[in-house]
Amino acid sequence: MSDWTITVMGFVAVIAVLVVLEILARRKVGRIPTLSEWLGFAMRRPVGRALILAGWLWLGWHYFAR
Amino acid sequence: MTAGNARADDAALQRAAAADCGPVPLSGGDVRGQLPLGARPARNAIIGAAVITYAWLLGGAAPFSTRALIEVLLPGAVLGVIAYARPPERIPAPESVDTAGFSYWIIAIALLFEWEASAVRDGRPWHPSLTDLINPLIAPHPIKTAAIVGWLLAGWALVRR
Repeated sequence: MSDWTITVMGFVAVIAVLVVLEILARRKVGRIPTLSEWLGFAMRRPVGRALILAGWLWLGWHYFAR
Repeated sequence: MTAGNARADDAALQRAAAADCGPVPLSGGDVRGQLPLGARPARNAIIGAAVITYAWLLGGAAPFSTRALIEVLLPGAVLGVIAYARPPERIPAPESVDTAGFSYWIIAIALLFEWEASAVRDGRPWHPSLTDLINPLIAPHPIKTAAIVGWLLAGWALVRR
């Protein structure tokens, strides 16, 4: 197995974990909050809202303007 | 019936009539009388077409160009104005989130950042960063357009939270 494949599998594994967390949260397994819930909680304060919106804007700049 | 009772009945009738004239929230709508998402198909189709057209134009902009930068910043400015000047009906945020449950998210996101940081630090072709992997995937114009539409919808969802 090449190093490139290992790297890609690492990304796939972590993203799969994020997807599984969202599925578990939606099925109310344990007390895991959904992505929407914890983002909403983080955005209760204006600072959190500004940071998360800035992160969204950075993603757009990074992938679509560069 | 006394005069007092008659006045009370008239007042009740007027209140009922006023209530009938007010906006009637449909199922899924909010109390301000706004209609649910699917209740304005023409308006939604126009907005959808505008979003897709904008995404198509942005997807065609040359990388690192001023046009691409402006076309990315513009939705951010529009959403910022909407969020602060005329905020939409927001989905109520939870009062708290479970610390242990939230920690799973933090660990997974930290792992993603660590894996990305190690790839960026190495800078070797055999250890690509997430950007190196995603950029070729979204290079075709239609796929990039779809990705931009998803990004715009995510921005709108964040404004509504």
